[in-house]
Amino acid sequence: MKRRDLLRGALASGSLGLLEACNRAAQAPSAPVQSSGVQGLGAGGEGADPVFDARVTKLADSALQAAREAGATYADVRIADYRTQAMRTREARVVSVVDDTSRGFGVRVIAQGTWGFAASSLCTEDEVVRVARQAVELAKANSVMQREPVVLAPGERHVAIWSTPVRRDAFSVSLEEKLARLLSINALALKQPGISFVDSQLSFVREHKFFASSEGSRIEQTLSRLNPSFSVTSIDEKKGGFETRTSYTDPRALGYEYVEDYPWEDDVREAASDARAKHSAPSVEPGKRDLILHPTHLWLTIHESIGHSTELDRALGMEANFAGTSFLTPDKLRKFQLGSELVNVVAEKTAPGSLATSGYDDDGQESMSWPLIERGKFVNYQLTRDQAHWIDEPRGYACSYAQSWKDVPFQRMPNVNLLPGKTPLSLAQLIASTDDGILLKGRNSYSIDHQRYNFQFSGQTAWQIKGGRIIGMLKDVAYQASTPQFWAACDAICSEDEYYVGGSFFDGKGQPSQSNAVSHGCAPARFRQIDVLNTARKV
Amino acid sequence: MLSKEEGQRWVEQALAASRADDAMVTLQATEATHLRFARNAPSTSGRQSDHTLTVRSSFGQKSASATVNQLDAATLKEAVERSEQLAKLAPDNPEQMPDLGAQRYAEVAAYDPRLLETGAADLVRGSALAVDSARELGLSAAGYSEASATASWIGNRRGLLGYHRATEASFSETVRTPAFGGSGWAMGVGNAVSDVDYARCSATAIAKAQSSMKPRPLAPGKYVTILEPSCVASLMQMLMFTMNARSADEGRSFFAEPGGKTKLGQRLFPESVTIRSDPAAALAPGSPWSDSGLPQAPRTWIDRGKVETLFCERFWAQKTGREAIPPASNLLMSGGSGSLDDLIARTPRGVLITSLFYIRFVDPRTLLLTGLTRDGVFWIEGGKISHPVTNFRWNESPIRVLQNVDALTSSLRTSPRESAASNVSVPALRVKEFELSSVSDAV
Repeated sequence: MKRRDLLRGALASGSLGLLEACNRAAQAPSAPVQSSGVQGLGAGGEGADPVFDARVTKLADSALQAAREAGATYADVRIADYRTQAMRTREARVVSVVDDTSRGFGVRVIAQGTWGFAASSLCTEDEVVRVARQAVELAKANSVMQREPVVLAPGERHVAIWSTPVRRDAFSVSLEEKLARLLSINALALKQPGISFVDSQLSFVREHKFFASSEGSRIEQTLSRLNPSFSVTSIDEKKGGFETRTSYTDPRALGYEYVEDYPWEDDVREAASDARAKHSAPSVEPGKRDLILHPTHLWLTIHESIGHSTELDRALGMEANFAGTSFLTPDKLRKFQLGSELVNVVAEKTAPGSLATSGYDDDGQESMSWPLIERGKFVNYQLTRDQAHWIDEPRGYACSYAQSWKDVPFQRMPNVNLLPGKTPLSLAQLIASTDDGILLKGRNSYSIDHQRYNFQFSGQTAWQIKGGRIIGMLKDVAYQASTPQFWAACDAICSEDEYYVGGSFFDGKGQPSQSNAVSHGCAPARFRQIDVLNTARKV
Repeated sequence: MLSKEEGQRWVEQALAASRADDAMVTLQATEATHLRFARNAPSTSGRQSDHTLTVRSSFGQKSASATVNQLDAATLKEAVERSEQLAKLAPDNPEQMPDLGAQRYAEVAAYDPRLLETGAADLVRGSALAVDSARELGLSAAGYSEASATASWIGNRRGLLGYHRATEASFSETVRTPAFGGSGWAMGVGNAVSDVDYARCSATAIAKAQSSMKPRPLAPGKYVTILEPSCVASLMQMLMFTMNARSADEGRSFFAEPGGKTKLGQRLFPESVTIRSDPAAALAPGSPWSDSGLPQAPRTWIDRGKVETLFCERFWAQKTGREAIPPASNLLMSGGSGSLDDLIARTPRGVLITSLFYIRFVDPRTLLLTGLTRDGVFWIEGGKISHPVTNFRWNESPIRVLQNVDALTSSLRTSPRESAASNVSVPALRVKEFELSSVSDAV
């Protein structure tokens, strides 16, 4: 057998996918829009009835029936298989290649007004029945602690198939091609003066899940995403210092085309030059400064300060023991001015290429787009069906997600984007109009308190601006601010042609902790008179 | 849960299917149950069982791994073949080491057979007690309780064979007051549900919530500070990640010195600072082997203030003529004497920090970390807790924390708040200074 066939054979083999009918033609969702109201999406499943794998629907039916018979008033089941592939290299060698498959199912029920969930890797008739009963048992046992029953807002019934639109499936690309790409990045980096070390990595994820609920929904989805990056290190052997610079890549819900289209050579050369320059860059003078935050950096500040503070579960105390709460309590809804008039923030799970995008959430509800911040005012939360009644909303916003078949779905962050300014403004123009400031690019250290007020961030690179020009690099730069003070200080946002989407595979929340992949779009923006500190220390 | 023999059969079956030069198989079977509550009511709960079988195949200097979670002959064969196909496509790795031969692993007693039988009911009982206690006082409780059992096998074609099983139980709770910004946190961990004292955790979280109401302002700055064991656990856990011999030799670590030298052997901290690991420690046991299959053994990482050990991967150990040492599977920091109350009584004035949150590295050269305080910060005056103060953002290096240690309580089993773990025992520390950079308005 040829190498290519071997790989394709491995991909197509029945043992990999419980659900063989995957990779159907995707229907691309519509682009994110600046919306003033709640909008549905109209994702796949229209026209001819979808055809599902009969073995899978049979297992799902058995689980739902067993749950109902055991006393569940609501039940859903996710039968899913996951594939991940990851490779790491350093300098001229491959450090590791890992290929992971996992499949199983989870049954979630409401019984005696209480949620219950159980999951197993064994996909047989007997096991789905046993596990469905176990979920109901757990719900009943926990109901002794219940004060108010779970209330589900009215839901939609969907029968549909949806896939992440990809041009080139990353799992169909040969390992040789992927490793050659990484090793060529490393080789180029090591040719740059002053670079001693380089590491690079690629990881790919495919979630393939079938959802069925006691309300009649049947939804099959295939979600794909990838995460490429590299980092270079420059050593100062005489003085004993070292400096690093990580790539400006971001994870995306795209196929291998992202790797093919990324300007690796430019980023490698620039990264090497940056890492070298850091050795002799002056250490920053602390004090209040005007900051221009590049989208490769700003997305994470949006994520931490606005993304998390507008999560309803945090605001109500559901995460008080772990991820934290939020200063945006329900009494502030539609009243609190979070930022300047320029600040408009939209939540969506519909933008092509963004990580949280899907056709439907893990409650089986259709993805949508809605505003969180309008002209600086806090106008809405992220929420799921079972949370809507707490703030008198008529419906959930399809924010339910579980990281795998064995984890329970709960409210997770959609893509949360800062809308670009309406007046044409380029980054160059923004710099030219700044007299004394610092431009930060790339993500580095990040930390925020449990109510999402006090944060501290640093970047991969910091550039000093004087008299409207970048005059050189600075080091040891971090900034500290409180969320409302920071967003009130936003006095300029570049326009749409500077819009860029960053994101992360690893947004953590919940106990046991689950990861959520999420993107944040934004254009460069300026924030006046923010506290900058110097992080150099003597130890 | 798979029996020892059943698991071993799957490992052997995978090895028998291998056509590679070398093959190593690891298998994990897990069963877990958990219960979450918030606002004095259950929120989510779950029960799960899963298997993870990984085959790492090598041909000469090439290798790759494949992982599956289904235990049947066809899937096993598929995992073996997929890892072999990927390994053949990989370029040679000049640093690849041949698989280990037979190893002697420590006997670790960390398994309670009752946990799987009564775990779920125990969690409800303990959590209900905590919720009732908070509700009766008009407080709001949020928490998490978990019980899990894991069995692990490791084997290869060169005679390596290991089996280990462990159970773990944990309970954590945050209690908040309806007004005046009071909040308190407590956590208990163990290898049996009976190791977790639900009533004591509940009482601690409630007491902290009530005593942290109406926090007073305190100017940011450097203060004499007592860090409770959970805070010390977080900081030391992060320090241990960085104790890597190769990074130090390569000049890209705090432990590097100019000219290719390292800080190994240097006395960096006071005599009172000793950090060890020992997988078979009765108090907070760890896994008997590392990811690469190297045996864990009793080791001293910091000996009376001196950097004694850095972990060292097999290739680098061979190249530099040293012993291969895996990262530790538990963390045992020696204590001084007395309780936290005793230490407070011996402190004329200073800050007591009870919980740390959102800790991240700021500068790898100095191991500078930043993070927040949470759920109870207090001012100590004349050997007594005087009043609560606001939360802070801090910027501090665990290196400076250890340099500034001037008193330690006895060491006790605890867990870092964020990376929950049952394999840590540390004391509370008093440090001569700790840098509180700015006020956090969070309550």
